Amino acid sequence: MNPFLEIKNVSYSYMKNTAQQVNAVNNVSLGIDRGEMVGIIGHTGSGKSTLVSLFNGLLKPSLGTVYVDGKDIWENKETLRESRFNVGLCFQYPEYQLFEETVRKDIAFGPKNMKLDDAEIERRVLRAAELAGVKPKHLDVSPFDISGGEKRRAAIAGVMAMEPDMLVLDEPAAGLDPRGRSDLIEMIKQYRERTGSAVVLVSHSMEDIARATERVIVINNGEIALDGSVDYVFAHEEELKSMGLNIPEVTKVFHRLKELGFDVPPDVYSVDRAVDILTSLAERRKSDGK
Amino acid sequence: MVSDITFGQYYHGNSVLHRADPRIKLILTFAMIIVIFLCKNFFSLGLLAAFIILVTLLSKVPVRMILKSIKPVLIILAFTAILNIFYTHGGRTYFEWWKIAVTEKGVNTAVFTIIRIIILVVMSSLLTYTTTPTMLTDGLERILSPLKIFHIKVSSLAMMMTLALRFIPTLIEEIERIMNAQKARGADLESGGLITRAKALVPIFIPLMVSAFRRAYELALAMTCRCYTDGNGRTRMKQMKLKITDYVMLILCIAITAGVIVLNIFFEKVI
Ligand SMILES: Nc1ncnc2c1ncn2[C@@H]1O[C@H](COP(=O)(O)OP(=O)(O)OP(=O)(O)O)[C@@H](O)[C@H]1O
Ligand SMILES: [Mg+2]
Repeated sequence: MNPFLEIKNVSYSYMKNTAQQVNAVNNVSLGIDRGEMVGIIGHTGSGKSTLVSLFNGLLKPSLGTVYVDGKDIWENKETLRESRFNVGLCFQYPEYQLFEETVRKDIAFGPKNMKLDDAEIERRVLRAAELAGVKPKHLDVSPFDISGGEKRRAAIAGVMAMEPDMLVLDEPAAGLDPRGRSDLIEMIKQYRERTGSAVVLVSHSMEDIARATERVIVINNGEIALDGSVDYVFAHEEELKSMGLNIPEVTKVFHRLKELGFDVPPDVYSVDRAVDILTSLAERRKSDGK
Repeated sequence: MVSDITFGQYYHGNSVLHRADPRIKLILTFAMIIVIFLCKNFFSLGLLAAFIILVTLLSKVPVRMILKSIKPVLIILAFTAILNIFYTHGGRTYFEWWKIAVTEKGVNTAVFTIIRIIILVVMSSLLTYTTTPTMLTDGLERILSPLKIFHIKVSSLAMMMTLALRFIPTLIEEIERIMNAQKARGADLESGGLITRAKALVPIFIPLMVSAFRRAYELALAMTCRCYTDGNGRTRMKQMKLKITDYVMLILCIAITAGVIVLNIFFEKVI
């Protein structure tokens, strides 16, 4: 069976045919299945945002084809429109796109554009607000009167309300404090578990990617450099370094410990897990009498 | 796309024109625009055209860029040409049909007006091609500084202008970003009648205003933090001093103006 989203030999250049032409995406092919949870990482300017803007036809590929649900999205106006609703794209700093009088109305903007009836719109707004963690008491206040983190959630809810088969989030945790970050990542994981929708998470943060996703795509200079499981990608520490990326600090510590001959696993991505492993290691050594 | 619009287009270079004093460039451009309208026959206009070609060559701005600046006024050119050909009558008749007549005077006027407009456009775009927006406002500030005696805060005005110019590309980028975000939520900006389209702009316009105000506040705060009060008494990093080349340009322009006046007197009026 074909993957839900399939892009074939896609390239995209900004300011094509001028002196300042930038080849942001070069001959990329990839497929993402229904329900998959994928992380996309890459250095600043590597073309991540450009790549995801091709997923729902916000940008038209200079070369190559994008298929959503088996259909070429650029075939006609209708397929393009459908792709916007099937692939929900949420940009970096989405809070700056809020515009309605109330949060409720703003979340309803997407479903309204889908020409759904009022009851369905209302149902979707409530569900999306709940999924994104928008507090019910905030639904009827102006989106400009809530805090930055709450705005972010309201904006994400606005995309979730379209109930897309695939949700793409570009740097959803940018500019949040560590607590806000982990809460948001947790929310996204929950969203995927509860709705079964595919999720693509674009991020700089290896920690976030490791915590939330199963498959990681590494983009470098507009090309796919690595594509595979989290373990597979993080095992390529040197390659990642040459692309200006770093694996999580804890993971580095564990790789080093292993080199030194300690019996530790290489796939440690979070501090919590590290603490567990190290305590049990220490206890074992104590009981060994060393 | 929105980003195709170029404002205050500056073309990087290091020609005589690029290095010239912005005050002189501003004043001379202004003066020569008036001279365009002093031209009364093809001889004086030809002299001016030759002058513009010389200046273009000196500026080292590629011809392609010059043509690009003429492109937006092509419609206006076509329109004036048609109006002049059909509505100005006199001299020999080349062509007549029903109530429409094409005469010598009509054709001459059309050609004359077209050349005038082209010179006008090329001249003003040469100014923006060779002068950065900051230099322009600096120059303008200095030229307008005598207005201080009327209690007009020239330095604040100049600062506002500099900031406005600085933020045009930022706002264009912002518009593009907001448009993409709303399109991703299925906003349809391209179809429907006038009212539907106007309504479709609301989701773009409101976030744009909000972010423009936010930026303005942040900028004001940042400027206050660095002790900006108003421009009075500020000294400049780049001092403006007239150089030999500036005087040469001034003299050249005076000579051209004199030439235009002389040619106007000696040859028959066309327009
Ligand atoms: N609107 C644009 N016009 C011209 N060039 C652009 C535009 N947007 C992006 N680029 C260029 O395309 C390349 C890829 O940009 P992109 O925004 O996709 O990178 P990114 O991986 O998302 O970076 P970041 O992590 O900083 O968000 C960069 O070199 C960038 O300068
Ligand atoms: Mg980006």
